[in-house]
Order: sequence, then structure tokens, then C-alpha cells
Amino acid sequence: MTQVALITGGGNGIGRAVAQRMAIAGMAVAIADNDHAAAEQVRSEIVGKGGKADALAIDVRVASEVKAVVTEIATRFGRIDVLANVAGGSFYTKRIEEFSWLEWKEVIDINLKGTFLMCREVAPIMQRQKSGRILNTASNYALTGSALRTPYSAAKAGIIAFSKSLAQELAPDGILVNTVAPGPTDTPRVMGKESPEARRQRWAQIPLGRTGAPEDLAEMFYFLSTTESAWITGQTFHVNGGLVMP
Amino acid sequence: MRLKGKVAVVTGAAQGIGRAIALGFGREGAKIVVADLQLDKAQNVAGELKASGAEAHAVDVNVASEASVKRLAEQTFDRFGRIDILVNDAGIYLRSSVANMTEEDWDRTININLGGNFLCSRAFIPAMRAQKSGRIISIASSIAYTGAKEFAHYAASKAAIIGFVKALAREVAPDGITVNAICPGSSNTDMPRRHRSEEDVMARLRATPLGHVLEPEDIVGPILFLASDPASYVTGQAYNINCGTVMI
Repeated sequence: MTQVALITGGGNGIGRAVAQRMAIAGMAVAIADNDHAAAEQVRSEIVGKGGKADALAIDVRVASEVKAVVTEIATRFGRIDVLANVAGGSFYTKRIEEFSWLEWKEVIDINLKGTFLMCREVAPIMQRQKSGRILNTASNYALTGSALRTPYSAAKAGIIAFSKSLAQELAPDGILVNTVAPGPTDTPRVMGKESPEARRQRWAQIPLGRTGAPEDLAEMFYFLSTTESAWITGQTFHVNGGLVMP
Repeated sequence: MRLKGKVAVVTGAAQGIGRAIALGFGREGAKIVVADLQLDKAQNVAGELKASGAEAHAVDVNVASEASVKRLAEQTFDRFGRIDILVNDAGIYLRSSVANMTEEDWDRTININLGGNFLCSRAFIPAMRAQKSGRIISIASSIAYTGAKEFAHYAASKAAIIGFVKALAREVAPDGITVNAICPGSSNTDMPRRHRSEEDVMARLRATPLGHVLEPEDIVGPILFLASDPASYVTGQAYNINCGTVMI
């Protein structure tokens, strides 16, 4: 039976790499992204290589959109084995007094509420299957904090505690919930903002001497969706080149 | 075959989790040094590996002895010519309240569980540095985080392993060597049976959120992940495999 993976934020960066990794492993991949063109691009790349994929537009903050997307995927593929909640981002870097209430809510909602809404919608499907993997995305900032990224750090720490709670809730149904915490990763969004000099300085801070590739993160997401991680739940997996060792 | 041609040393490989790791590495194409204080049992594991078509060599080692660990390294290089993966699994699990703990029990626990990590890592790091690659994986325990009544020395030694792993990870990262720990929850081995009745052991093992009794084989997948190419950007981490009993 073909396994089905739903990846939010699958159109770009880490989410895109996760979608491609799952597809290489033979899963049918549903790529949900607010950037529908990007999701479509990833879909055609995967299909071009002989994989099975679908692209959908989603705003993970909106319950009705989440419900519609999950229903459509469950109908089309018949099941959901892996939910990878990768949609998110820090979006702003500025002092707390400069954050508007709307901006604060935007960051909290895309990261934390989006994770909640997706899990709420997918959990009943996995409960019926008596199996499933939920993979949420945090950040090393969840532990260390980050000046100028107060809502992002709060949302990511929230995701870790949310995931542990959900892991306890869903364990009796054989559903595993874990969190992947990327460190600095070479995604277009991060790299676009950074000068070569700033980049070299950042590399010097990382014990392994480089930033992560989206593929480094994708390997962890993939590992956590295989039978080799069958008895792991409620845990956080930092992939950061040694930048943060909790 | 994710470890084809790689040379792995697994300490404490005669039984339990270490044995499962050695057999798992064999399935993935590695050449394995089966290192243990109990040579006869280590030879049995090496025999199982050879019977399955893997290359294996049993070595008797006391990981708390400098001379013995030096011999382990020499035999590894004599036999296989290199080292790619070191798994520090050898450990002891003694039971005593702190009030009644002998200095001997304290020293043995710390010297074997923690000191063995130091001596084995020290012995193999120069070769890993020279080839600019290597993986060191240490077996800690969820008890490092939770503690356990009457196992204070064990808990201390396992928590110390995590601190050691993080420090060593920083030291050897520039040479392309990663160092990580795995923290298993209680698993279905002889170890807990030394101190508790069979009934008590099984009741404790079953009491997990996932309702699964953790077997030594269940630890192998995560170890293989850390030992193989996909985990090249992971270092200084302690990953928990415990059926959800402890969530760090």
C-alpha cells in the first residue's frame, strides 16, 4: 500500500526537500502551500521523476481551508500516513515595541495555530487507521530565544510543548508525534536576506562549519516517518550542526 | 547497505543493546569489532555475524583500562585498518542507595560507564581526525534526565555521558567527526533483571504511553541513522527512544 504524506509549506525550502525525500521513498505526496505556484512546481518535479504528487493551496491559519485540504487529500488518496507541518517562518526581525498586534498574531498563527489546526484535522483520520506520524517543525530558537524574533521563538517553543502533549494524547492510537528543530538552514528565504560576510560569520559559529541544507532536515523528517523510528514519540530532534546542544 | 565497507567498533556488544547494534551494523555491510569484557559471548556474536556473511572480530576489552582499550584500538587497526564508527555501549548497572553505596561501586560505575567513553573515544579519534570523518555514538539513558531511586551512580554516569558527548562534539567537529548520544528507555535485556523480579521488570517495561515493550532491536534504527550519511549535520545531540515515557 502506498503511503501518503501531507507536507505543509511543501513548496519551498525545507518543506520542498521533505516532499522530495518522501517521494523518493515511494510515498504519494500532497504538497500544501500558500504559494500555490511553488507547490505546483514541486508537484511537477516529483511527477516528472515518476513520483505521485498533488499540489494544493492552503493558508494554515484558516480552519475552513485546513479542513477542505485535509478532506480532499483523504478522499483522493484514501489515507494520510505522515503529516509534516513545515509551513512557518519568522517573517519579521524587529524590536518588541515595534511589533503590531496583527504582526504578532500573524507569526503565532502561521507557526503555532497552523500546526494545531492541521493536527486537529488529521488526527481523526490517523486514529481510524490506528497509525500515523505527525512531524512538527520547531527551531533552535525555541530553546535559545532570539533577539528581534520574540513571536517566532514563542511560537516554536509552543510547538514543542504542544507536540509532547499531543504525543501523550495519541499514543494509545499508535500515532507518533515528534518535532524536528532546524538550526540555520540554506533556504532561499534565509539566504536572500544575508550578505556573504554575514554568512561567513554565521558559519564560524557552527561547530560543523556550515549551515544546514534543506536535505539535511529532510533526512530527519524521513527517518521519523519510517519503521526504524517506530518507538519514538514526544521527542525533539535538533539538526543544527552542533549550534545548539540542548 | 548503508554502511558498506565501514569499520565499526561496538563496546558492550556481547549482549543486549550492544549485540543488537553489532548485528544491525552487520546487516548494513559494516565490518564489526565486537568488543566486550566477556570474550566468549563476544565470540558468539562475532560468529553470528560471520554466519550472516559479515566480517567480524571479537576482542575482549575492559573499557575502564587504558592498556586494554589501547589493545582494542591496535587489534581494530591490525584487523580492519581503519575506524569509521565507534559505539560506546559498554556499561554496568549496579543498585544501591546513596547512603549505603560503597566507594568501589561508585568508582566502578563512573569509570566503566563514563570513563569508558573517554578512553575509547580518545583511542580512536586520532584515526578519525586523520581521515577527516568519523561517527561516535554513545549510549546514555533516559535515567540521565529522570534519575532513578537507588541508581544515583548510574544516573550520574549517564548524564555525564551527555555532557561529555556535547563537549567532544564541539572539539572534533572541525575534523568532520560527529558525536551524539542515544538515550534509550528501559529495554527488555538482562540488565534490569539483575535487580528486580521478572514480573516487576515486565510490568515496568509495559508501562509506556505506546504500550510497547522496548526491545534492544528497537534502538538499532536510530543508531543506524546517526551512523550513516543522512545524519551528517547532526552533532552534540542526545536523542530519546523510550516509547514516550520521557519527553525532554
